[in-house]
Amino acid sequence: MSGTSARSMLRSPFVLVVGAVLTWFVAAFLVWPNLNVLIATFFPDGSFSGRAAEKLFSSQRAMKALGNSFLLAVALSITVNLVGIFIVLVTHYFRIRGSRILFLGYASTFIYGGIVLAAGYKFIYGDKGIVTSLLMKVFPDMDPGWFSGFFAVLVVMTFATTTNHMLFVASALKGIDYQTIEAARNLGASTWTILRRIVLPMLKPTLFAVTILSFLTGLGALSAPQVLGGRDFQTITPMILTFTNSPTSRDLAALLAVILGVATMLMLAVMSRLEKGGTYFSISKVSSALQKQDISNPVANVAVHAVAYLLFAVYTLPVVLIVVYSFADGAAIQTGQIALDSLTLDNYVRVLTQQSGLRPFIVSVIYSALAALIAVGGLLFVARLLQRYKNWVASVFEYLLHIPWILPSALLALGLIISYDHPNPLVGGTVLTGTTVILLIAFVTVKIPFTLRMLKASFESVNASLEEAAAIMGAKTLYVFRRILLPLVLPAASAITALNFNSMLDDYDTAIFLAHPLVQPLGLVIKANTDGAEGVQGVANTFVYTVLLMVITGVTMYLVYGRASRRGATGKRARALPPVQPMTASIPGSPVGEALDGKESAAPVR
Amino acid sequence: MRKLQTLVAAAVAVTLLAGCGGGTASPAASGEASTAPAAGSGETLVIYTNSNGEGRGEWLTTKASEAGFKIEVVGAGGADATNKLIAEKNNPIADVAFGLNNMYFSQIKAEDVLEPYEPAWAGQVDKELGDGETYWPLVKQAILLGYNSDKFSKDAAPQDWTDLWTKDEFKDRYERVTGLGTATAQLVFAGILSRYRDDSGDLGISDEGWKQVEQYFQNGSPAVAKTDLFARIASGEVDMGQMPSSIIAEREKSFKVNVETVIPSLGVPLAVEQVALVKGTEKKEQAQKFIDWFGSADVQGAWAQQFNSMPVNKGAEAKANPEVVDFFASLKQQDIDWEFVQENMGAWVEKIELEYMT
Repeated sequence: MSGTSARSMLRSPFVLVVGAVLTWFVAAFLVWPNLNVLIATFFPDGSFSGRAAEKLFSSQRAMKALGNSFLLAVALSITVNLVGIFIVLVTHYFRIRGSRILFLGYASTFIYGGIVLAAGYKFIYGDKGIVTSLLMKVFPDMDPGWFSGFFAVLVVMTFATTTNHMLFVASALKGIDYQTIEAARNLGASTWTILRRIVLPMLKPTLFAVTILSFLTGLGALSAPQVLGGRDFQTITPMILTFTNSPTSRDLAALLAVILGVATMLMLAVMSRLEKGGTYFSISKVSSALQKQDISNPVANVAVHAVAYLLFAVYTLPVVLIVVYSFADGAAIQTGQIALDSLTLDNYVRVLTQQSGLRPFIVSVIYSALAALIAVGGLLFVARLLQRYKNWVASVFEYLLHIPWILPSALLALGLIISYDHPNPLVGGTVLTGTTVILLIAFVTVKIPFTLRMLKASFESVNASLEEAAAIMGAKTLYVFRRILLPLVLPAASAITALNFNSMLDDYDTAIFLAHPLVQPLGLVIKANTDGAEGVQGVANTFVYTVLLMVITGVTMYLVYGRASRRGATGKRARALPPVQPMTASIPGSPVGEALDGKESAAPVR
Repeated sequence: MRKLQTLVAAAVAVTLLAGCGGGTASPAASGEASTAPAAGSGETLVIYTNSNGEGRGEWLTTKASEAGFKIEVVGAGGADATNKLIAEKNNPIADVAFGLNNMYFSQIKAEDVLEPYEPAWAGQVDKELGDGETYWPLVKQAILLGYNSDKFSKDAAPQDWTDLWTKDEFKDRYERVTGLGTATAQLVFAGILSRYRDDSGDLGISDEGWKQVEQYFQNGSPAVAKTDLFARIASGEVDMGQMPSSIIAEREKSFKVNVETVIPSLGVPLAVEQVALVKGTEKKEQAQKFIDWFGSADVQGAWAQQFNSMPVNKGAEAKANPEVVDFFASLKQQDIDWEFVQENMGAWVEKIELEYMT
């Protein structure tokens, strides 16, 4: 193997080409615009003032909210892993009755998120919720407002953000070599030991990546605390959004965002450190596909089944209620009074017969598809290089590529505007504002960190001896990449593409600043129809759009992910493991989910 | 492996096709909106507004096209539209902006984004409501304190905002905001803080004034995301809160509650929605004609009739809902120094968010 030092990178033409493109992209669209917006924010008159820090640190509310955000981030990193690993094992590792049905239930988080999800949980566990009413009959003394505060927020966000586990951890699990497990069992290892000593360690790169995402989701929590947090548990994001919108306070927003960003980067550094030096692929010469395991202890078996089905109910009830409520009128939704005979198609008729019709849907589908493909297509090369060459140059690029995680998307958009509203040599002397390209650029950049993390994790779990063998036999870099690596990471890449696509469909924060006036995407239309000072129709429309998006994202997931995993299922596995069910679903989970609801509550400004 | 190649090829083809689609979709689809040929897209006026919800944008597009204007309405919240106009000032995309209130427009004007223009209907409106130079008033909106009139008689109800936190019977019975991002919330605070103007105080407000703000937040019931105040009134969670005048009638009906409004002796703050020409537009003449048309008595009258609003144009009053006109005739407007408010609002919002909101 050739070395991985910075110097050795220069010898490969592949590295030079990718490096040149990457350097230009990072400089033009990540560093320059964001530097501009940060300078404009922190040095408004050319001199720096410590005003923002002083104001923030002396504000009790800001400090408490910031603390809450961190608390939630840490707690979520743990709880999402617990629940996420459990549901992955139940659906993919253990032999559980009805695991395909269970899978569909757990997959419901793929298709919705944000404020509507929080509202869905409130319909069930809130003070007028179904479960609360039932419990009140059994325990008349209990507090009807039991489901609020930190506990409620943590519960809802935990169940809402297991999407990445279901996609990526499950996919990594399928790559585990079954022979290792069999060998361990022959040596007398218990189910628990196998799990702890063999299965989980192999999943580490993916678990690290999804843990960072959970942490980020917790830091950026917006709608769940707004709906369920009550007085005592509010997070920092609403404040960031308010301050971003006010030119005189934008420095506070930027400072807060930078604090959260630095925390995320620290988390990233810790995880990268933990990840270093491990071997995360099977080293056996002939690996075989995973087979489902029986839980031998009957008590444990019953317990696992019970918990699995309980979780199934927790996951599916809100979706069912949201679909039902989307047929009710807005007043009924908000007061929680619903009668079956009051359900009508009126909401759907109103939304779908607007003058703008299907056009915004088409615009959004095209933009999201392009951005998702470009981001994943480009980063496949980048992630490969970053995984292959571990030196300081690679690290610098890796951290630079995470810039979009640091700043809120409104600031990213403002940065692009102020950098490219005049002819700029970085983009060949053209003006980008007012064109259809600028929104695409923003969409691609926003998706870079997530895409990079997941792709890198998936490259980590590729057996290095495969490419070594190919290289020894004389295969060129691109040939190895195309014929050996790409097929192995393709399932993960498809899943990432689908998630990216879905998360951008209803984007508002970026589009509001960058969309071409004649090519307006769906997010702006949703906003116009749901904002109305949260009126009657507005809330009903929110539910309708959520259901419509569920349909689109469900179809995407089926087309991209469902088929990709079937392709992955080879003969032997196909017998052991029935062809993976087409998932009815996809995204708003992930950090992504919160970004999504950011737009719903970000600008009730009217 | 062949499968993979096909897949990649297909992906590339889709990308290219989608790219073409993205490029051509705009003229084709905007051709649908009005029957004018796509070549006319150069004359499409781009209109920024926060007043496009509940069918307003579509109504305007249709009526404008009947009058020979091809327009594209770009909707955004008040703060977003303001930020967008300011951010784009070097290379403006909008030709006309409307619907934002005087506070937002004075902020935009301060950034030198507006082109002075005196519309043909300038004589029919009260110039005091705009700046008499760049932005001109269209619609009046009163920012009110409303209460559940089934629970409180007129005498038992609060007589002013300050009663909410000084009288025990209203404590925890009123909804207080959880963020100051909305124009309505900012206007409520403009109304309250203006009473305590003290140039030696913090940000131009006396300590007494800031104490009122503190009390407001301590004694109110925090608003709940995606749950309308009227829904909370209907379910008995709270009995009163802030509301803009235009929504009351419709919400009363939807949530089956009766709401009366409080008129403090000092009067109520008015938000006046304005229209203005954007500096640097390449379609200046067309944009000016549009403003002349949109603010005219006829169009404003039709708008008022359709959306139950209160037009500023005196010629349009006849067409507006007589109840609305009577209500505004009886309304006492609070005397607010808008220049003072505009200068300080950013800092007030920041202080309140950081120090008083709990």
